[in-house]
Amino acid sequence: MEMTLNVNGRDHRLSLDSRTTLLDALREHIGLTGSKKGCDQGQCGACTVHLAGRRVLSCLTLAAAVQGRAVTTVEGLAQGENLHPMQAAFIAHDAFQCGYCTPGQLMSAVACVREGHAASDEAIREYMSGNLCRCGAYPKIVAAIREAAPQMAPKMERA
Amino acid sequence: MADDAGRPTGGLIGQPHVRIDGRLKVTGQARYPADEPLANPAYAYLVISAISRGRVAGMDLAATKATPGVIDVLTHENVGQEVKPPMGPDGKPTTTTLESDQIWHDGQIIAVVLAETYEAAREGAYKVVVRYAAEAPSATFDSPGVEVEPLKANETRHDPAKGDAAAAFAAAPVKIDARYDTPIQHHNPLELFSTTCVWEGPKLTIHEGTQNLYWLKGSVAGQLGLDLADVRTISRFVGGGFGSKGAPTSRTAWIAVAARRLKRPVKLVTTRDQGFTIATHRAETRHHLQLGATPDGRLTALVHEGWEVSSRPSSYNVSGTATTARMYACPNIATKVTVVHADRNTPGFMRAPPDTPYMFALECGMDELAYALGKDPIELRRINDTQTDPVSGKPYSSRSLMKCFDAAAGKFGWAKRDPKPGSMRDGDWLVGYGCATACYPCNIGPAAARLSLTPKGKATIQLAGHELGTGAYTLLAIVVADRLGLQVDDVQVMMGDSDLPPVPGAGGSNNAASTSNVAAKACEAIRQRLAMAAVRTNAGIFAGVDPATLTLVNRALVGPDGRSEPLETAASRVSPGAIEAHVENVPQGLPPDAAAALYHGRASLLRGQSREDVTAFAFGAQFVEIRVHRRTCEIRAPRAVAAFASGTIVNPLAAHSQYQGGAIWGIGSALHEQTEIDLRTARYVNHNIADYLVPVNADIGEVDVIFVPEEDHEVNPLGVKGIGEIGIVGMNAAIANAVFHATGRRIRKLPIRIEDLL
Repeated sequence: MEMTLNVNGRDHRLSLDSRTTLLDALREHIGLTGSKKGCDQGQCGACTVHLAGRRVLSCLTLAAAVQGRAVTTVEGLAQGENLHPMQAAFIAHDAFQCGYCTPGQLMSAVACVREGHAASDEAIREYMSGNLCRCGAYPKIVAAIREAAPQMAPKMERA
Repeated sequence: MADDAGRPTGGLIGQPHVRIDGRLKVTGQARYPADEPLANPAYAYLVISAISRGRVAGMDLAATKATPGVIDVLTHENVGQEVKPPMGPDGKPTTTTLESDQIWHDGQIIAVVLAETYEAAREGAYKVVVRYAAEAPSATFDSPGVEVEPLKANETRHDPAKGDAAAAFAAAPVKIDARYDTPIQHHNPLELFSTTCVWEGPKLTIHEGTQNLYWLKGSVAGQLGLDLADVRTISRFVGGGFGSKGAPTSRTAWIAVAARRLKRPVKLVTTRDQGFTIATHRAETRHHLQLGATPDGRLTALVHEGWEVSSRPSSYNVSGTATTARMYACPNIATKVTVVHADRNTPGFMRAPPDTPYMFALECGMDELAYALGKDPIELRRINDTQTDPVSGKPYSSRSLMKCFDAAAGKFGWAKRDPKPGSMRDGDWLVGYGCATACYPCNIGPAAARLSLTPKGKATIQLAGHELGTGAYTLLAIVVADRLGLQVDDVQVMMGDSDLPPVPGAGGSNNAASTSNVAAKACEAIRQRLAMAAVRTNAGIFAGVDPATLTLVNRALVGPDGRSEPLETAASRVSPGAIEAHVENVPQGLPPDAAAALYHGRASLLRGQSREDVTAFAFGAQFVEIRVHRRTCEIRAPRAVAAFASGTIVNPLAAHSQYQGGAIWGIGSALHEQTEIDLRTARYVNHNIADYLVPVNADIGEVDVIFVPEEDHEVNPLGVKGIGEIGIVGMNAAIANAVFHATGRRIRKLPIRIEDLL
């Protein structure tokens, strides 16, 4: 079926199988491979993207269902060469190892702050528990979110 | 800073540095194998067996072939003869897939559906109707029909032994005689197993997440009968390995066959559940441990017998008795390992393959012995600490075990522990403190590298290394910058491609030692050429100076008296352009043909427990606080402290992450992870990453890591011991010991869950 997806501020006209997930649309058809497939069944969080500003699992979201709503992926987090504060904090705190869960962690982390769930380590741990990190970077992810949260001024954020 | 020969270095080794590939990883630009852009790919979807033993009696493919978009289906009938089976992780025969109609295990690949889209391939795969000739399978230990194979000594393995352990145990005044079990566990790296194959004429390019580019290349070339030079493997980033991507597996060759038949790229991304059976796992183990001691705590007997499950054709085993026999001073040692063959997929390497299960038994046993003796568990280890390998009598190259215990105990607050089980409480929570020894042998392999240095001070190092999350790119940049007198940002690192010089696979914690030492050797080759040219000329300031005394510091060649000339000047004598070096490093103790074998994907490692000169291990100490709820028996691990001494630490930032991640793996290993198997059908039950429990963020509290300084001039020139595996070792025992301390319940199997404490 024909559809138009708005990803990171840009429209993409696509002809896709009606069963195509948003994750596969991004990766296989638009060429944005930052979002990762770690389970394809909503268990790991590696595919997390923002849909109209809220975090969703793109592997459990049909591409056809998101027409007309803004999708933001990890590729849309930085503004040109300027990293989002969350990206910079992840680097500074070494909040990843293999990096495969990192795009999903970052998208969840940004949403976690915006949702108001980053006030304490306990809250961060709870609201980041939908994103598995098999390398075990959890303590550093918490530290990175604590550092980045106060720096997340609205001007740094893409709508 | 000075190196072994007393020469000053850049001082960068040992300084924390953020990952040079960090920006790629946080912006989504790091390209994992399934991210490669492809021209007109077809998509593959695997069909796997729903029985564990028998034959494929027939397949009805009509509905599949009628599915819009389906192009072709590979089965044993149409492609079975095109591929020779791969070897198992031990290099010996393993289970097969499409080579025949035989089914060895649950979830074995039995067909590959190829289609224009992923969705069509998946639909076509679901529509394959398989008729099975099923036989009753054997699932695991004690199942009817298993074959029991006590392992014999041969050229490559022996059971460590000395003295008369049976007699010494019989005569020992204090004894522990206990049995322990560890479960089936799966690596579950976040990156799904994937393979993409692209042919250009006779040349095959494989994009696959691998920890061993040259092994994969050599294996596929051999399986398909291709010239080694015609196969290229690319894996610039690996989305977690933990051993699961170490040995070649069966799917790769079939995707190559598929791409050849379709004359277009074929991409396979397997599903999470398929990953449980098309790759490897940590097999379940059993242990019988007997410890004998004098009343003052000296070990007099250690008997460790292990049992491990493997597939029908493979005798793959981890034989961790090679580690446990070497941990403590003991005059009488006996060990034995038995493989039990069942209708299962072949197990393989998983983070500290031998040490994780076998040290669980020993370190729980030591805790039991401490209680039997009325001694502190740390003091028991101190009494039996040794600087000599008790099996071979060789000295340890270095062994900082008790320094690690003391550092971790201090930070942890061990002195506040009341040893009486069940004595420490916080409200409704029973509090337990536990500790255990961590260790891992120091391995190093032959390696090759190409290095270039421009007169302006930009260096590029190339080797077929692997970045699994260890920080491998950054490690090499630090070593090269340190040795060539540059900044880390001046060094470009190229890895992840078998067109580059070979290094061993990233496993057995050899990567840092193997690649940093070859990189240092390449730097030394360039330094020597610069130095020789500088002392031979009549024009420069170093004419006639001993070239060995010249060093590279801050983009300059520096003499012993502090005089220096710019790198650009020194380099111009050697070459008008970049200076290049191509070096091979074969660690002393490996056979002379080790370098040649490396190019064929057969890297032989010099292993820490079988060296001629010394025994080389890294050591550490794991401490953990466990809380068990008095009413619900919920188990929490709010804090852990781990101390490690692993020789030279090249990048403390990434090393901290490795250690911490390893400790978290240990928490998962002790409290969460178990692959459940249906005993009647020999099929895995919880083959997804929600029912196979791994730690989530909310499961992990504080995990402190202490670096215990250690210099080791014996282990290898740079003194690098390796850190990837040691972090997990012993944590499972520390937790079981803490559970005992909290509750008085000695749980001798993993994982420890609520139901074990009700």
